[in-house]
Amino acid sequence: MGTVHARSLDPLPMRGPELGVQADDIEALDIEQEPKQEVLENKDVVVQRVHIDGLGRTKEDLLTYEIAEVFRARNLIDVMRKSHEARQKLLRLGIFRKVEVVIDTSRGEDALPNGLDVTFEVTELRRMTGSYNTMVGNNEGSMVLGLKLPNVFGRAEKLTFQFSYGTKETSYGLSFFKPQPGRFERNVSINLYKVTGQFPWSSLRETDRGVSAELSFPVWKTNQTLKWEGVWRELGCLARTASFAVREESGHSLKSSLSHAMVIDTRNSSILPKKGGLFKIHQELAGYTGGDASFLKEDFEIQLNRSLFWDSVLSASLWGGLLLPIGDKPTSIADRFYLGGPTSIRGFSMYSMGPQSEGDYLGGEAYWAGGLHLYTPLPFRPGRGGFGDLFRTHFFLNAGNLCNLNYGEGPQAHLKKLAECIRWSYGLGIVLRLGNIARLELNYCIPMGVQSGDRICDGVQFGAGIRFL
Amino acid sequence: MSLAADAFVSQMAAAEPWPESATLYQPLKEDQILLSDCASSLAVQAYLRMCSLPVQVVCKANAEYMSPSGKIPFIHVGNQVVSELGPIVQFTKAKGHSLSDGLDDVQRAEMKAYMELVNNMLLTAELYIQWCDDATAAEISRPRYSSPYSWPLSNILAYQKQWEVRRKMNAIGWGGKTLEQVYEDVSQCCQALSQRLGTQPYFFNKQPTELDALVFGHLFTILTTRLTSTELAERIKSYSNLLSFCRRIEQNYFEGKSS
Repeated sequence: MGTVHARSLDPLPMRGPELGVQADDIEALDIEQEPKQEVLENKDVVVQRVHIDGLGRTKEDLLTYEIAEVFRARNLIDVMRKSHEARQKLLRLGIFRKVEVVIDTSRGEDALPNGLDVTFEVTELRRMTGSYNTMVGNNEGSMVLGLKLPNVFGRAEKLTFQFSYGTKETSYGLSFFKPQPGRFERNVSINLYKVTGQFPWSSLRETDRGVSAELSFPVWKTNQTLKWEGVWRELGCLARTASFAVREESGHSLKSSLSHAMVIDTRNSSILPKKGGLFKIHQELAGYTGGDASFLKEDFEIQLNRSLFWDSVLSASLWGGLLLPIGDKPTSIADRFYLGGPTSIRGFSMYSMGPQSEGDYLGGEAYWAGGLHLYTPLPFRPGRGGFGDLFRTHFFLNAGNLCNLNYGEGPQAHLKKLAECIRWSYGLGIVLRLGNIARLELNYCIPMGVQSGDRICDGVQFGAGIRFL
Repeated sequence: MSLAADAFVSQMAAAEPWPESATLYQPLKEDQILLSDCASSLAVQAYLRMCSLPVQVVCKANAEYMSPSGKIPFIHVGNQVVSELGPIVQFTKAKGHSLSDGLDDVQRAEMKAYMELVNNMLLTAELYIQWCDDATAAEISRPRYSSPYSWPLSNILAYQKQWEVRRKMNAIGWGGKTLEQVYEDVSQCCQALSQRLGTQPYFFNKQPTELDALVFGHLFTILTTRLTSTELAERIKSYSNLLSFCRRIEQNYFEGKSS
């Protein structure tokens, strides 16, 4: 009997904290494969040995969890399927460049007549890899230099260092990631970072130096993250002409917060999904673990997508958030919510609505925003099946509000305040998907419900970003 | 402050009269403010009182970071923000309030020279004692400076400040001085001031100027602030005309019309 190579069962969807390019639009392959060797189809087999060839610094105990299932296979198809699953698991660890599977009949003295040997031929990643790339965030670009040490201690731990030099900010970060052996979704990571940001809409400059520890684990269909973060924040005015309200916020503060995030994501793609939904809830409690910022922050995001006729997709989303100060200290400008811009409420300038002082936007303590989109392929579908599929036209309707809450009025009054003077906009435009992490939009927007002080962008608006309403 | 910024401030300032709502910002009086900041703040307050310009003093823990130059104190007048005595004098002058208009060019040059002397000697000595004398830094300066912040930010900021001041001291050649040499410098400075003052009520006879405000701010603060050692105050106390000068300004401008 010859060998059966299982290497054609590509490609695997990568998940987890690796922000690589994801083979996204390719629908998940059915693992059920037609048996190639009819004769063996129903014959019972025993997996006697599993070899892993090509290991250097990887510890074997880590891999035993990943390949344990292969031993449970009882017939050839099962062996192939389980080997394929094991291969996917091995690749997901992010420590191998290549994994090949060879299944062969057992040889040697104690070989059973129906015994099989499975061999994984792996190629480890280099001890250290460097990278250089450019990134697009919310309306800014940056150059990122990275240094990565995959598999530092041989159990899929990863140490990464990033230095980014951008149009508006320079930052660096050092992070250590360690998954639980056998359960990659359960992992801890520790981060150390410095981020400098300039926010011209608030005439504010912020430098954050922080440490955070994060624990992620799946529960049922959700992904849960618990996090502690300690940040030293330094705020300053961008210019001499900054408003006095922003000047008053200048100086140093220390935030120590515990936060919890829960995500359910059933979408088939995070940028231009065709179906599925997203539910994300994030809560942050600051002040109980030290520091001088005390608040409770709640934030949620819902998105639902539905395919309609002619490849068009209807997408509805809703965001909302609330920031409650604890104690008598008012909330900091750095913690409040901002709304507006080409990726949230279109037709308004970036973060330029709501409470402001002398033209500097101060953010709000409560907000909601909703969006309704109809995505369709480009008219006449040029470049269909190729480049053209990266584009969509969309019609949108956005609405939302951002305000401060006066904490004596009761919940009824707060709701009323959020429902008053709603900002909304509608329009149409073209969306370009960039990889699976960002998108560009060119829209013609008509803002409505504009309040005094809001800065609008009537007409053509260009935007790039990673989070979308 | 650059010339361009100077010109900008003067131009903007001329347009409006002095408002009632002018405010002066300084660090927290009880727990935070340090000798040198307190002296600079008092000098500005004395100056504004001499000009009869009303100002409300507000204490803010982040005053240093709110200030456009990072120095204490600064005033917020209308929608203008101006920090430190020199620019504030310029600013009030642009609004038509000046104490040194009656002086001739020679006197004005002399006044500027003495002001430089006070800033270079007294202010630098204060900074030296605060941050370079280990006992004072550990017992007074670091705990007070960091009092509004929580651990570990308090330690980081205090040591950062100390390091910054020490670097500056090294740059101007004060790094190698001993405490005794610094006291000696203060004595010499006071002697020069005492000789210039002589028996006059103010440095330029009858009318106070910004020099009087500056000298008063520093001497009065040194005399009334408790440090680890009383040596600094003792040095000043040996010049009786400076003592009565401080008493005179306190009586004329601060007593009876305290706001």
